[in-house]
Amino acid sequence: MEHGAAFAAHQEELEKLPLSFQEEFRKTEETLGFIFKEDEMASWAREALAISTRTPRSWEAGIEYLKACGEVAKYLSFASFTQWTRCGAYLSQDSPTLAVSYFRASPAIVADLRPQHIARWAGLGRSLYKGTWKSSTLAAKFFETSPTLVKNLSFWDVEVCANLIEALSSKSYDVATECLVMGSEVLPRMSREREPFLALCRTLTDSGWREVKACFQVVGRALPQVEESQRSRFLRLADHLAREGSREISLFIVSGSAALGRIRPQAQQHVLDLCDTLMVVSPPAVHALLNSLESVLSRITLPQLDSWFDHGLRLIHENPDGGLAFFKVESSTSEAVIESLSSSLELERVKGILMLYCRALSGFDIEVTESDQLVGKGIGWVSEGHATTEGTKVFLPLIIDRYSSKDENFGWFKVVSTHQVAHLEFGSFLFEFERPSALFDDTRLAREEALISQVKEDEEMKAYARGAETGWVTDITRCFSLLADRKLALDLFTILEDGRLDYRVKVEYPGMRRFYNRVQQDALDGRPALMELPLRQALVEMLVRFSLEQYRGLPTPKRYAKAVGVLAKIQRRLRNAEATVEDTSEATLRTYDILSRIPNQQEEEEWENQDFDADEEFSEEELAEVLKEMGPPTEAEGSDDQEPYESPEDVDFRGDFKPELVQTLNRMRSGDMPKDAEGSGDLTQDMLEQMLRESAEYGDEQGEGEEAMAEFAQNLMKEAGATSPMPTAGQGYGPMVHVDEQGGELEAREPKTFVYDEWDFRAADYKPKWCVVREKTVDQGDLQFFGDTMRNYAGLVSDVRRQFELVIPESFRKVRRQPDGDEFDLDASIEAMIDRRSGITPSEKVYWFRNKQERDVAVVFLLDMSASTAEAIDEGRPSLGDQNAPEDPVEYMMWLRSRREGLVRRHYKRIIDLEKEGVALLLQALESIGDIYGIYGFSGYGRENVEFYVIKDVEEHLSDVVKRRIDKISPLHATRMGPAIRHATAKLDKQDAKTKILFLISDGRPQDRGYSREGVEKEYAVHDTHMALVEAKRLDITPFCLTVDKSGHDYLKAMCGDMSYEVLEDIWTLPQRLPQLYRKLTI
Amino acid sequence: MANISNSLYNQFTIEEYVVEQEPFYLPVRDEVELFEAAYAANVPILLKGPTGTGKTRFVEYMAWKLSRPVVKVSAGSANGDNGRVIPLITIACHEDLTASDLVGRYLLDAEGTRWIDGPLTRAVKSGAICYLDEIVEARKDTTVLIHPLADHRRVLPVEKQGLVLEAKKGFQLVISYNPGYQSALKDLKESTRQRFIAIEFSPPPAEEEAKIIKKESDCTEEQALALAKLGEKIRNLHDHGLKEGASTRVLIYAGKLMSHGITARRACHVAVVWGITDDHELQRSIQEVVSSIFE
Repeated sequence: MEHGAAFAAHQEELEKLPLSFQEEFRKTEETLGFIFKEDEMASWAREALAISTRTPRSWEAGIEYLKACGEVAKYLSFASFTQWTRCGAYLSQDSPTLAVSYFRASPAIVADLRPQHIARWAGLGRSLYKGTWKSSTLAAKFFETSPTLVKNLSFWDVEVCANLIEALSSKSYDVATECLVMGSEVLPRMSREREPFLALCRTLTDSGWREVKACFQVVGRALPQVEESQRSRFLRLADHLAREGSREISLFIVSGSAALGRIRPQAQQHVLDLCDTLMVVSPPAVHALLNSLESVLSRITLPQLDSWFDHGLRLIHENPDGGLAFFKVESSTSEAVIESLSSSLELERVKGILMLYCRALSGFDIEVTESDQLVGKGIGWVSEGHATTEGTKVFLPLIIDRYSSKDENFGWFKVVSTHQVAHLEFGSFLFEFERPSALFDDTRLAREEALISQVKEDEEMKAYARGAETGWVTDITRCFSLLADRKLALDLFTILEDGRLDYRVKVEYPGMRRFYNRVQQDALDGRPALMELPLRQALVEMLVRFSLEQYRGLPTPKRYAKAVGVLAKIQRRLRNAEATVEDTSEATLRTYDILSRIPNQQEEEEWENQDFDADEEFSEEELAEVLKEMGPPTEAEGSDDQEPYESPEDVDFRGDFKPELVQTLNRMRSGDMPKDAEGSGDLTQDMLEQMLRESAEYGDEQGEGEEAMAEFAQNLMKEAGATSPMPTAGQGYGPMVHVDEQGGELEAREPKTFVYDEWDFRAADYKPKWCVVREKTVDQGDLQFFGDTMRNYAGLVSDVRRQFELVIPESFRKVRRQPDGDEFDLDASIEAMIDRRSGITPSEKVYWFRNKQERDVAVVFLLDMSASTAEAIDEGRPSLGDQNAPEDPVEYMMWLRSRREGLVRRHYKRIIDLEKEGVALLLQALESIGDIYGIYGFSGYGRENVEFYVIKDVEEHLSDVVKRRIDKISPLHATRMGPAIRHATAKLDKQDAKTKILFLISDGRPQDRGYSREGVEKEYAVHDTHMALVEAKRLDITPFCLTVDKSGHDYLKAMCGDMSYEVLEDIWTLPQRLPQLYRKLTI
Repeated sequence: MANISNSLYNQFTIEEYVVEQEPFYLPVRDEVELFEAAYAANVPILLKGPTGTGKTRFVEYMAWKLSRPVVKVSAGSANGDNGRVIPLITIACHEDLTASDLVGRYLLDAEGTRWIDGPLTRAVKSGAICYLDEIVEARKDTTVLIHPLADHRRVLPVEKQGLVLEAKKGFQLVISYNPGYQSALKDLKESTRQRFIAIEFSPPPAEEEAKIIKKESDCTEEQALALAKLGEKIRNLHDHGLKEGASTRVLIYAGKLMSHGITARRACHVAVVWGITDDHELQRSIQEVVSSIFE
């Protein structure tokens, strides 16, 4: 068939169509002419025209058809091609738009689409079309995205996906469209997990279709974190969850895969096994388990996780809520199980014990804290995680996970703190330059004199000269200044002193010997090989080995065998319970003499294993001989082949030892400053800086430069001056910090904050460290309020006072008919005599005595300061305003006018006003009776912000300040009673009184954000409050609740249980009733 | 009344209880001389110090020592009249101790009433050393009762009988008082306090204490030294939750258990740790100190 035949055949019809169509037709005919036969071309032309002429605007679809034909024809036989065309024609019958996108997508898809799938593909698109505009957009979108899908997915999956989209579209076209778009990105990247994912989405479409979109959004990022082989399982788990009705599946995917991603791939499978087990019992717990996985696994190992899990599983059978809290690690049981399983030991848990232990050993008020705290101070300690001490505190690493059992880890803590305390106990920092040593011949003074005479000639010794003139900052500095290489001197001093202390500890505390030896042995295992070190460092390292009690089989350079022998002897001399820090200094000077003569070079040496444990005593002669043989000290920079000297590796259990800094600090703390030439007597910053510059303890890590030095010196001075390590407590109504309601334990980070557990009655367990109570002092207001109250209630005041004064004599009572006492009870005696005479056995109880019962009462009043106390009370009685109306007509007019203008004090009353008045009255009463009492208010917002306001602290005396505070009692936020009660209980518990009373005054049920289960169960708050009251009772405190909420009976019964409470029917009686109740309670 | 002694128990009337065996007492400073001088000069004595520092033992020792110059008289014929053997009357004071408990009271008898002397009266009559232990625990009216005895008058008024008793030669009033643990409520009145010379007792230095422990408990010297060290360390915790440190007494108990074959750690646990505190954390800390000192 020649070109244009088809065109010519249909010219008439074609000319009715737009030019662009005719053009396209011609072009396509040309292309297809090479592929199809003549008769085929003819039928093609008919089909094409049929598509294009069905409706007036069908030609648009026709153009798309023509454009696609060329490409499509390359891949399809004519039969398939016709089928493809017919599908398009069929679509265009329904909607030309649909056909347009169908044809448009075809060239891209045809290469990947098997011919037999063409019709099904078109059908998928068609099924999305429901005759509406939105559905046609969706269907068009499907055709647009399907090339990507078909290319990467099996056709089966495409069909599943399309089904999903269709199902979704019945809920929302927008969501379906978005999912389709995202799916075309996400799905191709999946492999075997695609099927479960689509299944999950299908499930979600029915149970919570909104989640589907979220799942598509997160899955791309979340899933790769999970080990590839486990992804399908994980998704099936999510599917299962969705079937169980869990709503937040996308969240589960995100957090779950993140949690899995943080553990080893091998472990993931195991964890998923656990999840499957748990799924059968409690689907919500699965989510909880995955969420807490990371924190749990940071404390226990995977095998240990199993027993933790089993425990939770048992619990969940008995008590689903308890089990859920268990897996959330929001229950004390869970904490306890983890704690008992885990071998790592957090300092926090044993801090108290260690602190007391250190105090017991040293006799000083030592504090134990985390070592990173010291680093933060910027006063010269730089290595976190190292134990150290700065004279008043022992710093220990945060967590120890060195051994496989808790006991051993605790043992390590103990060794470390004993060593640090030994510095204090055995006087490492009490070094005095002029105090004689116990075991060596003293050479310090002689050396100093020699140096001073030498100084005059030597330029380099200027620093020394200045020090000698102005006086040394510390005695240690003075000692180190005798030696040219301060770094070497400090290293030697540290090694020798630590060795001395290790020995001493083992002598003084034989019980520690075994573990101490083990720790030393472990330290030895990690030491570097001697033969790989430059010579001088190797010898220093040998000293370290000696100090760790390794004396045998040490490779020794043959050339210096004798010198090492002397070193060993010097070191061994310190192994004596009598050795003092001065001995260490003498030993340092001597070892320095030897080591400074040894070049620090890495040379081929002859090494030979030697033992150094012979019982030979050190002698000065031998040292002199060795020194003579070795010749003069090697110059530090003298020869090129010398390597710069590096300090030996730290012995970890010994931590950082900074004698110079500690001595400086101690000195500054005690205010004992050296006298300088002018006699001003103060240690100046200059002097400090000078000392620090020369000191080897000031690490290189701190950076050089004058500025750093000055800052450092200032920090030091600040530290020495700082008496209290805590910042002063914040006052008043601080800003609120919002913490998410989910989430776990809170910490009391700031001063004056306290953490308390909260009782979860469903789980029947405490949520550990759940609430933070912030103690604040109420602002001071006007004293007038107190005076006004006294005046307004003048009658009541005197009444109350009289009542309370009566209480005191009541406590002296004559107790009659006692078997023993001050005097005969006349009546009883006569009766007894009568009985005797008449032959009846007389009673022995013929005495009386005065029973003096000392009144010993401590009471805490807890006022509800929640927002609801701001409610005005119905004016059931003439307001005070009217009562105060002046009688004089002129004044009355003035008063009335000012009243109208609102200038008179608010005459209606709020609940809180009555509470305030009641408290003010009580104050008077309590003072007259002499009880110990505290008055507090509480309010708050959320568990992290339980505000506890001090109106009068238990220890505080009644003063105007207190009276002023009463004025400022005002309604604030919500009512989280539990923690407030617990805090008040803690305060009362500290009091040493026979009778302790907790008096709670509230205006309604406890409520707060998150003070309920899932936001609905108000019982939660009531139960927690109840538990807090029970806790108080256990501590021998009598709780009493007074409420002005008339509907209070319903929950008060549950809240107070068998404890007493009163619901005040008439709120106006509060000021009167309060003292009455109190009096009744305490007698 | 002679002391009745049979196979079951020993029983003495209070005037006849004399310390016969020399009690072990290791003087720390000059307290022996002080006591002797005060005794000679009729000056009453106040012994101050925490529990277990040897106050009671000291009084026993002095009672024995002051009886020494004379030829030893056998218990059966001990006779207060010649004043050569000094009886020791110890009264533990408690908050219900009344004046009548000390001075005496009328009791019902077959035909009416009969007066019976209280221990203080008997001590005054027999010229004994009267030791009022923990005097602050007694009621205020009781403490005032001893005022006339404690100054130059040395008399005891017995109101109910209408008598004034003059103290016999040799009568010595000794009171003890632990300023540590009583609250401010229970303090000695100034007027009481200023009628006595005060000898202060404190735990002895470690070496001395070790000697005492060794002597009293029969343990080895090494054990005694270690126990003394433990005592010293625990006393460091004073004011950190411990009201009082470990007394020499509990250390001796621990030593005794050790000498009877109980392991050192266990002995310290039951005798010292559990004895001195109920606070769990404190117990743990002291336990750690124990396990550091003892193997």
